[in-house]
Amino acid sequence: MAGTIVRITNAARNHYGFLAANCSNVQAALLSTLPPGTPPPQTKTTFGPLADEDRIFTNLYGKHDWRLKGALKRGDWYKTKEILVKGADWIINEVKTSGLRGRGGAGFPSGMKWSFMNKPGDGRPKYLVVNADEGEPGTCKDREIMRHDPHKLVEGCLIAGKAMGAKAAYIYIRGEFYNEASNMQVAIAEAYQAGLLGKNACGSGYDFDVYMHRGAGAYICGEETALIESLEGKQGKPRLKPPFPADVGVFGCPTTVTNVETVAVAPTICRRGGTWFASFGRTRNSGTKLFNISGHVNRPCTVEEEMSITFKELVERHAGGILGGWDNLLAIIPGGSSTPLIPKSVCEDVIMDFDGLVAAQTSLGTAAIIVMNKQTDIVKAIARLIMFYKHESCGQCTPCREGINWMNKIMYRFVDGNAKPEEIDMLWELSKQIEGHTICALGDGAAWPVQGLIRHFRPELEERMRKFHGQERSAAQC
Amino acid sequence: MASLLLRSGALKKCPNLKWSIASLSTTSSRLSDDVSKAVKQKEAPQITHDTALLNPEEIEQRKRLQGYITVDAQSNVAPITGQPEEHVKGRLVRIYEPAKNAMQSGTDNTGHWEMDFDTRERWENPLMGWCSSGDPLSNMKVQFSSKEEAIRHCEKNGWEWYIQESSFEKPFKPKSYGVNFSWNKRTRVSTK
Amino acid sequence: MLRTTLIKALNAAKLSPKHVSVVSRASSDVAKKPEKIEVFIDDQPVLVEPGTTVLQAAALIGIEIPRFCYHERLAVAGNCRMCLVEVEKSPKPVAACAMPVMKGWRIKTESEMTKKAREGVMEFLLVNHPLDCPICDQGGECDLQDQSMAFGSDRSRFTDIDFSGKRAVEDKDIGPLIKTIMTRCIHCTRCIRFASEVAGVDDLGTTGRGSGMEIGTYVQKFFLSELSGNVIDLCPVGALTSKPYSFTARPWEIRKIDSIDVLDAIGSNIVVSTRTGEVMRILPRTNEEINEEWLSDKARFAYDGLKRQRLVTPMLRGSDGELTPVDWETALLSVGKVLRNAGSSVGAIAGGLADAEALVALKDLLNRLGSEDLCTEHTFPMDGSGSDLRSNYLLNNKIAGAEDADFVLLIGTNPRFEAPLLNSRLRKAYVHKELDVALVGPKVDLTYEYDHLGDDPNVISEIASGKHPIAKKLKAAKKPLIILGADILQRPDGGALLAAVQSLAASTTPSEGWKVFNILHKVASQVAALDIGYTPGVDKIRENSPKVLFLLGADEAAIDKSDLPEGCFVIYQGHHGDQGAVIADAILPGAAYTEKQATYVNTEGRAQQTLQAVSPPGQAREDWKIIRALSEVIRVPLPYDNLNEIRCRLHDVAPHLTRYGEAENANYFKQAEELAKTAKSSNLSGSPIDVKIKELKDFYMTDAISRASPTMAKCVQAVLKQKQSKY
Repeated sequence: MAGTIVRITNAARNHYGFLAANCSNVQAALLSTLPPGTPPPQTKTTFGPLADEDRIFTNLYGKHDWRLKGALKRGDWYKTKEILVKGADWIINEVKTSGLRGRGGAGFPSGMKWSFMNKPGDGRPKYLVVNADEGEPGTCKDREIMRHDPHKLVEGCLIAGKAMGAKAAYIYIRGEFYNEASNMQVAIAEAYQAGLLGKNACGSGYDFDVYMHRGAGAYICGEETALIESLEGKQGKPRLKPPFPADVGVFGCPTTVTNVETVAVAPTICRRGGTWFASFGRTRNSGTKLFNISGHVNRPCTVEEEMSITFKELVERHAGGILGGWDNLLAIIPGGSSTPLIPKSVCEDVIMDFDGLVAAQTSLGTAAIIVMNKQTDIVKAIARLIMFYKHESCGQCTPCREGINWMNKIMYRFVDGNAKPEEIDMLWELSKQIEGHTICALGDGAAWPVQGLIRHFRPELEERMRKFHGQERSAAQC
Repeated sequence: MASLLLRSGALKKCPNLKWSIASLSTTSSRLSDDVSKAVKQKEAPQITHDTALLNPEEIEQRKRLQGYITVDAQSNVAPITGQPEEHVKGRLVRIYEPAKNAMQSGTDNTGHWEMDFDTRERWENPLMGWCSSGDPLSNMKVQFSSKEEAIRHCEKNGWEWYIQESSFEKPFKPKSYGVNFSWNKRTRVSTK
Repeated sequence: MLRTTLIKALNAAKLSPKHVSVVSRASSDVAKKPEKIEVFIDDQPVLVEPGTTVLQAAALIGIEIPRFCYHERLAVAGNCRMCLVEVEKSPKPVAACAMPVMKGWRIKTESEMTKKAREGVMEFLLVNHPLDCPICDQGGECDLQDQSMAFGSDRSRFTDIDFSGKRAVEDKDIGPLIKTIMTRCIHCTRCIRFASEVAGVDDLGTTGRGSGMEIGTYVQKFFLSELSGNVIDLCPVGALTSKPYSFTARPWEIRKIDSIDVLDAIGSNIVVSTRTGEVMRILPRTNEEINEEWLSDKARFAYDGLKRQRLVTPMLRGSDGELTPVDWETALLSVGKVLRNAGSSVGAIAGGLADAEALVALKDLLNRLGSEDLCTEHTFPMDGSGSDLRSNYLLNNKIAGAEDADFVLLIGTNPRFEAPLLNSRLRKAYVHKELDVALVGPKVDLTYEYDHLGDDPNVISEIASGKHPIAKKLKAAKKPLIILGADILQRPDGGALLAAVQSLAASTTPSEGWKVFNILHKVASQVAALDIGYTPGVDKIRENSPKVLFLLGADEAAIDKSDLPEGCFVIYQGHHGDQGAVIADAILPGAAYTEKQATYVNTEGRAQQTLQAVSPPGQAREDWKIIRALSEVIRVPLPYDNLNEIRCRLHDVAPHLTRYGEAENANYFKQAEELAKTAKSSNLSGSPIDVKIKELKDFYMTDAISRASPTMAKCVQAVLKQKQSKY
């Protein structure tokens, strides 16, 4: 039913677009002045739910065969040669048109990022590195792709690699993902055997290799430069930027590090067209996205949805609603553990896309929604997250190494209320002293949850301190 | 000498002095009530007692003495400083640019010239074990902004000197963070 | 008072001269460089080369940005975050040490954002740093202290000190030289970078992550390198301090005397710190031409040898064969009597630590007695032009010149231990300028890779004739260097070897002004002695069998009693009771290099002087003064009574001996080669080329001072212990 509605609106919109292009000279002129690769303007005003035929990841739940045979059935590797033959510029242009933004958290426009690589070489080979070190608490989208749809990623590597003129792709996979790594390796081997990779990949005359590298289980190795270091066999400690990986990356060569999801959607975008992809979601937030809903919901799940869907619809439709009903919602962390939480009042009408969540003083991140209902000890939850960051800080730069450790100590005192109310402001300042002063974004990621907590739950913190000191006083009186 | 002149001159010009005398005057209105008024208040010229007793020639002579005299020739003040001859003759002054302390990254206390004397014998005081020296100049380190100034100072005092040139300059080379990860250079780092 | 403040103000206003010099140097070779870009630092415009970092650009106009991890001689790490500065229009502060400037950037080093960032980093650094400054050896010269004063907050808000306290880290045992107090570490990684880049030993690194990160050696292991002491200087806090110096003195109560190291032929510039008439420690002093700001461990730590085994009183060998202390008068009179009776049958041997003043005084004395038998302990072939042409026995291309070389051929030398700071230059060129090195001699670890051409001396003639594969490389090189170790010239075929190397050097085609032929000496006195006219080697003494032999600090046992005629009277003048004193009949106690103002000429021919830091112990006196007094006793008084006068004499002998700091060029390569051909040179023998110091354990004790040093003995023990360890 929903599918039909969507289809009708789609047809209507296409129709309008067709008419508009024909009728209005002014608009045509406007369009022609825009540089190639600009996504078409969005005309929709409501978003989601996504129709089944618009899903990219059709084997997200592993109900079908994940191997080459199954993948071919689902349309993977279909006319890949033709895409490759169209050339790098065409692919990049298509990706630009699609308005695809990086799915790893930062949301950098992928077409632009890939085009950085597409400049004349200086003798160094170029590399594509796929960041499959999915370690962000709450996030479980890349593993679903890798274990149930690995060929999407392999094909994506080939197409993205062609777009940047890369010599090879390295898939840096998280050490804990044993089965995923195993499936990936099988998929890569199948692709080689079928002539889809390697010399003259897909018969396009383009030589491309895909290697898989298993990490050793450090969260920081998901940071692109730390990942590069780790791939080179060194300690996973981030590098400063500049030089950016596009200039000096893995083994000192130009490199692009992209998220699994970003790469895996590229073939479908090339096949169905950038404008198709751009038709989902608001302008600058286009496409479909894998959302991971975990925590206090009735049916935690990973689901592909249209961008810009409201949180409420997303959680009601796919996750069966909040445990104990919508009114029992306390707060959500909308994009993986490093994004600031937002309380229920904000959740009411928040739109799940890059701009919508920035407006709510948080961020889309990896779109891993952690739902917390009123049974949550929110302070303890955040304290636990900070403990995670403390444990995962690489220790290279001062603010992160020392600051997060200190924040962790303070947070655990806050859990009991064993602190003075002034220390809340101090903690806020500390988090600001960490944010933006570190080499990589881990410091920011650790500072934001604390900031979110203080922003929205300050009364809760103060109440705990009052209670703690009251108990202490009464204990002293006894 | 110069500082002495300066001080006497400064005393004369010192507004505070005037003010303190004014506050002791016998006028009916209390000047301290309104300071701004008191400052503007005209007073009879103050005559200090040491000038009051002088005759005009003496005043003229004193005025002349107050100015600086330019002497063209190289002056040697050693004979009139009262410094014992053993600390003028036979002392060797080293004029040098202090090097940066190797233990620290800061460059304060460098970038000027200094002079010091040759080290004379030091001995351990048998009672306390402290170190003694019979050399009053052993702690004399004077800073100068240029070596010419230091040389002038030494020559004026009749000390023999020599310059210890230092070699702190090095060719400027832009530092690069990227070379740590270079693909074909030996600057590539392996450890962290 | 007034004057000093005025000078400071002036300095601040006119920028310190060293910065200016950097600017002028940088602009001199602007022709080949791309266009300069203009940036503004605190609204002051500055023109810099593209690629210059923010921190360097600020330094050009005298603005110093605080830093901990950044060191200009090490790779950029960018991890302390102290150098964060605001750049206009950038939302975040940038790390000045790593960020290259872009055109038109406006950098604000004193803005609110910058100050806040610094204060924040400072606070974090102090969170886990113990406040044990009163018992910390770094106290008073600690970067963390200073920068905390200058840029930190005025109060602490580390409330958690009442709950969980600070981190504590176990100390590591990394050898007898460096004391570690790892709790104080701020993880700047300077020591790691020094070890892997400059020292060339990848022993240090980090383990653990986050707040559990530690600097260490991974496994229990000593950090053993000939340059290890430099990490003490590099450490911005008191985590790495000097073990021998620990708890002995504070930086504000010591006297610092600039001087020269004489324990190798490099002549590193040092600062001798003294207190209570004792040398407390030795630090390097920056000299870009020689040691940059590094110092070898021997030069840095052998100073405790100055307090042991010293000759503090004159001694005479009595009839019972025992040396008995006497006063100066007795000693001088009896020595004088012997000398006068001997007439012209007097020989002298100068050791490796003798200064030019003493050398010239002794030569004058012996010449007056009618003897010409003045030798040095370390030999040098005299066939061909021998030591007549200065270019024959100098490191002609200078130490700093090694950095610009594009090919280096080492013959019979192990620069790593014979001249650690020359080796660090070679390593620098190897790392940063892609220098290629080849070695003829035993296979040793030079800390960098090289072509080992075997130890057969005939390789040299093979290269010269173009048969050897390396010959092509040598011919093609525009700036080739051939460094010949002085050690192998002691071989019987040393002359032939020298001639072969000279002709090989002549066969290269270097660019204008480049000097290919270089000799690396091992001892500090050799060049001065040859300049003054001493005969290298002791063969002359053996041949002439003098009645009296005067040893001026000759402790290498180049000659022993069996070489001397029966009844030969041996006078030893020197500062240590070492091998020379053992065979002596009379001992005249001299001063060590920290106790006299004396001239030394290093292997590149650069005259430098040591300054007196402490008084010679007991009745020991400055060497040239002893000889002068002796000349008075034997009634051939030498014509100089004070330092100035003897320096005038030095100037008469060779003017460059008193041009301190300058290295006099020597240029007669062609003539030397021609003369070498005419020499009755024997052919090269087939015996393999060898060097004496092959390993680290041989490095520590090479002369009278370091042999007397307990610290150096501990180092040798540590090396032996490390060898037994399985790591």
